[in-house]
Amino acid sequence: MDSRPYTKLYSIILISSFLFNGCSSEAPELIQEEELITTVKLTFKSSEETQIVRWNTLTTNSEIIQLKANSMYEVAIEFLDDSDPVDIKNITTEVIEEANDHQVFYEFSGVNVIYGTSDSDVLDDNQNPLYINSIWNFVESSSGVVRIYLIHEPTSKNSSNRSGFGGETDIQVDIPLHIN
Amino acid sequence: MTNNIFNRGVFVLFFIGAIFSIWGQSCDFTIRGNINDLHDGSPVYGALVRIENSDIFTQTDETGRYLLQGVCSGYLVLVVEHPQCNSLKRKLFIEADDSINFDLEHHINELDEIIISDDQLKQINLSANESRLDVNQITRFSSQSLADALNSFTGVSSLKTGNSIAKPMIHGMFGSRVGIVANGMRLRDQDWGADHAPNIDLNAFENVQLVKGASALKYGGDMVGGVIILSPPKIELKDSLLGKTVINLVQNGMGVSLSSDLIKTYSNGYYVKGQFTWKRFGDIKAPNYILSNTGLKELNYSIKLGRTRIIRGWEINYSRFKNETGILRAAHIGNIQDLLRALNSYEPLRIEPFSYSINAPKQQGTHQNIQFTSFNQFNDQAKWQFDYNYQENTRKEFDVRRGNRSDIASIDLRLRSHSFLSSLKWKKYFTWNFETGISGLIQDNFSNPESGIKRLIPDYLSYELGSFFIGSYKPNNSFSWDWGLRFDRVIWDVQKYYNTSDWEARNYQDVFSDFVVQDFGTQILVNPKLNFINWSAQTGITYVLRNHFRSVFSYILSQRSPNASEMFSDGLHHSLATIEYGNLFLDKEISHKFLMSLNLDKENFKGSIEPYFSTIKDYIFIAPKSLKQTIRGAFPVWEYDATNILLWGIDSSLEIRLMNKMNLELNASYIHAQDRINNQPLISIPSFNTFQKFNYTFKNGLNVELINRYVAFQNRFPDTNFQINSIVEGEITQKLIDISTPPKAYQYLDFSFSFPFDVIEGLNTSIRFIFQNLTNTKYRDYLNRMRFYSNEVGLNAEFQLIISY
Repeated sequence: MDSRPYTKLYSIILISSFLFNGCSSEAPELIQEEELITTVKLTFKSSEETQIVRWNTLTTNSEIIQLKANSMYEVAIEFLDDSDPVDIKNITTEVIEEANDHQVFYEFSGVNVIYGTSDSDVLDDNQNPLYINSIWNFVESSSGVVRIYLIHEPTSKNSSNRSGFGGETDIQVDIPLHIN
Repeated sequence: MTNNIFNRGVFVLFFIGAIFSIWGQSCDFTIRGNINDLHDGSPVYGALVRIENSDIFTQTDETGRYLLQGVCSGYLVLVVEHPQCNSLKRKLFIEADDSINFDLEHHINELDEIIISDDQLKQINLSANESRLDVNQITRFSSQSLADALNSFTGVSSLKTGNSIAKPMIHGMFGSRVGIVANGMRLRDQDWGADHAPNIDLNAFENVQLVKGASALKYGGDMVGGVIILSPPKIELKDSLLGKTVINLVQNGMGVSLSSDLIKTYSNGYYVKGQFTWKRFGDIKAPNYILSNTGLKELNYSIKLGRTRIIRGWEINYSRFKNETGILRAAHIGNIQDLLRALNSYEPLRIEPFSYSINAPKQQGTHQNIQFTSFNQFNDQAKWQFDYNYQENTRKEFDVRRGNRSDIASIDLRLRSHSFLSSLKWKKYFTWNFETGISGLIQDNFSNPESGIKRLIPDYLSYELGSFFIGSYKPNNSFSWDWGLRFDRVIWDVQKYYNTSDWEARNYQDVFSDFVVQDFGTQILVNPKLNFINWSAQTGITYVLRNHFRSVFSYILSQRSPNASEMFSDGLHHSLATIEYGNLFLDKEISHKFLMSLNLDKENFKGSIEPYFSTIKDYIFIAPKSLKQTIRGAFPVWEYDATNILLWGIDSSLEIRLMNKMNLELNASYIHAQDRINNQPLISIPSFNTFQKFNYTFKNGLNVELINRYVAFQNRFPDTNFQINSIVEGEITQKLIDISTPPKAYQYLDFSFSFPFDVIEGLNTSIRFIFQNLTNTKYRDYLNRMRFYSNEVGLNAEFQLIISY
């Protein structure tokens, strides 16, 4: 038998073993997801009180929102990444920067509410309110749920239901409501 | 005999005279030897061996042997002739009995026939049925993908994500269970999940072989579904410069595909080949709407250099494949309520004007391959081959992201594989054939953390070492027995971050706590080291009755250890709004399969029935497990799991040929797959389907082809539906998300015609027009993941110009 093929074989194995050494087995870098939203924070302000309610990823629920009927509330929404408690990031600023690509939408069940945009709301380039700041007024005492959406790249900015906005849902959380 | 020699001696003496006798010439020597085919070493029967300017001649027998007697000493010219071969002359000096073997090269114009018997195109698995695509058929699919080209075989389907991401599916199996072997080495990128198409350019190959339902133990023992083997053009031992250019203009998607190759060969065996393919498609169109963001960009090239001296040779090959595929924009959804809106919508939720631009969501894939091959035929009985191959595959996936992050890949994987295969083939008495060899693989997967998103597939190193021994016994043309055994050892060394909550929810801390390296609070770094041993084997017999009835029976044992995505995938799938989890508890799959094939092959008639039956223990599949509450709402969690399945099916085909002009093909296939633990049908199994092909060639060379395909409704599917609550006019209402009911049956027609169109002397030009989905039928396919969002592609007209030179 010809010995040359074996010489080739050995040289190839040798070369490849050098290549294999190039493979690193050091620990991979820890990834802290940047776009993560872990908390939705709602701040309710009326002439009498201020109430803060948080929906958090870890507990996947929140406290009940306790509000009074026939009272005007200024509602501010914030999206936070508090996965690192030392370094809480406010994602709301990103949403506001990309106002054209975002929309906040509230859907209510079991309660009778009149709500609209607030004077301090954020507007996109076409003057559409984002509902980052809105005014809620409940007509009667009742219990129900508010479903909060953050919509990314909506196809429409004016709708009274989720379907009408199109786009993709970035946030969808339910928070229970109790109106006295 | 001695008398004869004496007579000849006298005869020679009498005529040539005394001069020769001065040299003391004696004329009682013999020359013997074997004459074999250059390409595959098979014996050449009936070759004429003679001594020039004499009347001494003989013919080779069935084993290629010849014997010349009464040869005189001194110089002579030996001539070997065969009606189908180039004649060969050799000047010899004879002073004793001699033994000389010859390898014969067939005539170049006979190459078409030779290719059948050529070594690299020999049947891969004697006891499994094999189908082939030739150059002409490959050219027809020049602008399409490998899976599309294979779709014309019974029992083969495509598992798709949209139109251009397609994975071949054989007998209901896909991914790691279907081996793809290109240039003699296995493609190493098929473990990345269902939405990753093989990175292969069909145009670089001249022959595609498909083995259904069985492994090729030389390349691996885990290919339960089958093997696809792609081979490059055969190198001719002559001075030549050959090339081919295929230009495709595609109406649907306003696409262009251009493919060209050039091969220079020398009579001393050196050859060099270059090839490239370029494709550019815009948004394709379904019957009623544009499928926005479904464009495609592709650029592939390859170059190879080698030398073949038939019995030994070498080759260096470099190839690169790069594509960018848009994923239907409307299929990028945020949560299951978005999915419900898509399901309820008649049209995709985003339709934009036609465009060539490819935006997020999209996939980018590259495949680079460097290969070295060397082979040596030591004698006419044994051949050794060595292949070394380095592959680098990358896959990037871009999602629609917030904060200008859409340009940062959310999945960014790089898989580097070094592999080698060394094999030795030999035979004994022309009836026994053996092949043995070893193969090795080292894989290094790197997942780029810059994606800023949890790794879908973690970083890992994996090692595989395999060895095989296969053989066949073929005492005559009507019977053969073949068998094979393969052993593989697979070692995994994985470094993965688990969310601590996921790690605990799966009870991994009880079993795999040894793997934990470091605790980072919400995440933990884990280093699983896993080890699998796989045995695979097969045996089969082929029996041929009166040259036209062939029956094959075989049994195949396959073992496959779980792949990286099955064990470790961890991430969100935007196209289905699912969270996918791998499973560390998975064991290897063990499959027992029985295949039978009955073939009738007569002059005008060809028919085959191929039933198969298999049971697979610990079959790995992905299924919805639970709903997970997230900030995006409830999400279905799909998790890899194992079950025992029973799978059987029948492929059948019938071909009628009339007057060499007309050809009618009827094909049908059926698969039945049942999960025996959960007592329900298996998910994503092709439904009953048939296709009919009518082909007619006119005298002037015009060829017309009509294909009708019918795909039935899949009535066997598991129920993976679930309920979500939706707020409708202030009321919380339960809504059913039906993702399990398959789409309706469909049928469509393809039509094509081609004719030679010689404009320039010396160029072989032909033109082909292809019409797909002629009736612009609206349909959706069960095996397409995009079926929830849009119809399949509508009418497409394609113009193809093929120039050979």
